[in-house]
Amino acid sequence: MLEVKNLRKEYGGLTAVKGISFNLNPGDIFGFIGSNGAGKTTTIRMIATLLEPTAGTAILNGADIRKDPMAVRRMIGYMPDFFGLYDDVKVWEYLDFFAAIYQVPPKKRTEVIDSVLELTNLTVKKQSFVQSLSRGMQQRLCLARCLVHDPTLLLLDEPASGLDPRARAELKELIAELGRMGKIVIVSSHILPELADFCNSVGIIERGELLAFGPVGQIIKDMQPHRVFAVHFVSDADNASEYVATLPNVLSSQATGHGEVRIEYGGDLDGQADVLTRLIQKGFRVSSFREDSADLEDVFLKLTTGAVN
Amino acid sequence: MKQWFQDLFLHNPMLIEITRFRRRYFSFRSGNSTNSVVLTMVLLCYAGLVLVVRDNSHNTNPISLIMFETGLLTVFAPMMLYGAIAGERERRSWDLLLAAPITKSQIVFGKFMGALAALSVAVLLFQVPILISALSFPETNWLKLLWATLMSFAFLLDVCALTILFSARVKRGLMALGAVLGILGITLVVIPSVFSAAGVDRVSSQVTMFLHPISVLYELGGNDRDRYSMVDQPTFVPLWLWGWPQTIVYALFAVLMLNWAAKTLTFAENEVKFLPQGNKNA
Repeated sequence: MLEVKNLRKEYGGLTAVKGISFNLNPGDIFGFIGSNGAGKTTTIRMIATLLEPTAGTAILNGADIRKDPMAVRRMIGYMPDFFGLYDDVKVWEYLDFFAAIYQVPPKKRTEVIDSVLELTNLTVKKQSFVQSLSRGMQQRLCLARCLVHDPTLLLLDEPASGLDPRARAELKELIAELGRMGKIVIVSSHILPELADFCNSVGIIERGELLAFGPVGQIIKDMQPHRVFAVHFVSDADNASEYVATLPNVLSSQATGHGEVRIEYGGDLDGQADVLTRLIQKGFRVSSFREDSADLEDVFLKLTTGAVN
Repeated sequence: MKQWFQDLFLHNPMLIEITRFRRRYFSFRSGNSTNSVVLTMVLLCYAGLVLVVRDNSHNTNPISLIMFETGLLTVFAPMMLYGAIAGERERRSWDLLLAAPITKSQIVFGKFMGALAALSVAVLLFQVPILISALSFPETNWLKLLWATLMSFAFLLDVCALTILFSARVKRGLMALGAVLGILGITLVVIPSVFSAAGVDRVSSQVTMFLHPISVLYELGGNDRDRYSMVDQPTFVPLWLWGWPQTIVYALFAVLMLNWAAKTLTFAENEVKFLPQGNKNA
């Protein structure tokens, strides 16, 4: 379990992270969302024991990042947003090097290396020099490196940056698989729809403050507690809007032009079906009727102002 | 067995640096064509040196070859090592190491062992022409030759340790290279030249030149009568005090500098400059 407690980082007069707190359990895939300079990387680097927090701490399975960084390092796999690899070593040597650092027993190393290469789909490149790998492959190699010691916590800072769509899809699947394996995964990304697909919780950070934290569905529900429908009419949308406003549980109704009416509705599914039935019975010609559910991007844009430190 | 010995020598993952140095500087299969071209040229020059020494072995003092070796490797060692740690920062592979459970001593020692391996190969290669010359040169003194070889090697270890120290202290590899070459230039060239030009007194010049590697080799390579130091002063330090004291001092310096480098890594570990331009603390 990871407990982040009031983590804070100041650089001179600048507060990059303003005391954020959250807890994550095994199997959680946590999406860390924020603009550039919001404090994502600083938070991740503090949890990775690369930056000393000004205040607060994080505890991973009982090991405190401030008191016992070496114990924390043994339990984490960290993939920075920008990283370099050793060009003059082969793929298996690179993994063997890190396996040795993480004190994987020499007899088990070959097996471990083979399994992480298989997991990251790099088996065919085992004997290749690192410098000969494409950007996507290097990204996967870095992820394989993070996995050689079977870490409890994975810190992935913008892991999909610079990847082509196929590599992104593969990475997404791989991260989902790691979550199923019971690891805690923290992923920061700018690509919000992708995060929503595989993260079971997200945190939105701006100017060092955690504005929202929780399951994706819950955050969206908190931001938009009522259902919103977009109904298109062949004609007479303004009258339809006025009529809908008189129906039970309709909180608001607004004609937005081009024959569209947006309805905010506080009732249940049966009532929702009744709205459509009564519109048709009243003679309004409905061409489409769909729920306009908010997504992570809408929530992010609603919560944040775009301001940076 | 002591834990530190196991951590540094037996189970130090950073000993991969030996493989990396071998690939980078002594292999045609590193995949880097520039390295292959440089290696070819170095081997051709080496073959030329061996042939020249073989043809002039009667007239070539083996200690003069050690002087040549020392001078050459004093310039080459920093060029091979300046990016040892600063290069990791520039390449952004440093974070991966710092976030892993490896000690600073293991990092510094591993880098040093890589350099030591490369240096040992270079010094061993030089032993061939030195041996050819020593076997034919009429005035070869084997004991002096041994101390000259050891002293030269110890001095080159100092150069390596100094380069690693600067590489650990600065963020850019080229800054480390410039600083090391600057220090070596001042201590090995500028100061002796100033002394020579200024005509300093005998005691000062001898004390100052006592730790100058070329001065030591000069003393070891000369004959025992009418001995003069490099700054044209008659020498008063007895011949038996040249060679072994400097070897010990250089070895101690190397240990001190490596220790300092290991401690210095804290500087990079705890703070990374992360301030926007214009901030008063940036």
